[in-house]
Amino acid sequence: MIVAEKKPIEEIIEEVEGYKKILIAGCNECVTVCEAGGKKEVQVLASALRMYFMNQGKDVKIDEVTLERQCDHEYLEEIRNIIDQYDAVVSLACGVGVQFMAEKYFSTPVLPGVNTCFMGVTEERGIWTERCQGCGQCILARTAGICPVSRCAKRLLNGPCGGSTKGKCEIDPNVDCAWQLIIDRLKALGRLEQDYEKLTPIKDWSTDRAGGPRKVVREDVRI
Amino acid sequence: MEGDCRFNNGNIRAKKRVAQAKQILDTIGIGGERVQMYNLSSAEGPKFAQYAVEMTHKIEELGPNPLKKAKAKMAA
Repeated sequence: MIVAEKKPIEEIIEEVEGYKKILIAGCNECVTVCEAGGKKEVQVLASALRMYFMNQGKDVKIDEVTLERQCDHEYLEEIRNIIDQYDAVVSLACGVGVQFMAEKYFSTPVLPGVNTCFMGVTEERGIWTERCQGCGQCILARTAGICPVSRCAKRLLNGPCGGSTKGKCEIDPNVDCAWQLIIDRLKALGRLEQDYEKLTPIKDWSTDRAGGPRKVVREDVRI
Repeated sequence: MEGDCRFNNGNIRAKKRVAQAKQILDTIGIGGERVQMYNLSSAEGPKFAQYAVEMTHKIEELGPNPLKKAKAKMAA
């Protein structure tokens, strides 16, 4: 899922400076799971902002809504009838949702309420780590399900570098060397010969973000 | 006491949530000192009374919630 972190309240207060009617919009998917932008977080933020503005003697209306997702037309349409009542929206969805809402309701300022971080997993409650960087050409079949693009600091494709020490990456003693993990796993699967010994050719990075904003088109499902 | 929660680690979670609430109240200018967590069991009546008195004194020193004044001003 997409992992995000709440923005500090002070930053959000600065963002909404001057607006009198604000809608806080949460998202029921990824940001709910990483406890950054779901219904609970919307309630807490709305409550904190109401108290802040009241304390400042400012009359600011703050409403709450949590949509199923903010990256699909049908869910964003759900607020079409009420959006004009507000002069700004603070969206707690990931960067995708903030942008899509801004595109849909282009005459209403849409402000981000979280910092979107990466695609990752919940290792345990309260700890989320990166797993995928969306390079567009998945080679996990050859690397025992461990990604060298997202987990190797150098994004090497054919084994560890000289900096790999005791299974850790040279950038940080707490970061595992992805290639150590891959080799260990391939050994356990008995696939060292087939997968590790065979060289992976130079990667085509045009499907990575280095190639520019990407698009996926499926003619077979288009109406 | 801390850690002796009948819900296992419920009071540890509560401690973290109270800390978060304090931080939010500080950020928005209400004051985190207005929220306090104490650990005790249902058998410790006198201690409960002692904490209640302690908290009452603290609140009396801090004065009324600033939102009360703000609300009254805005209503006027």
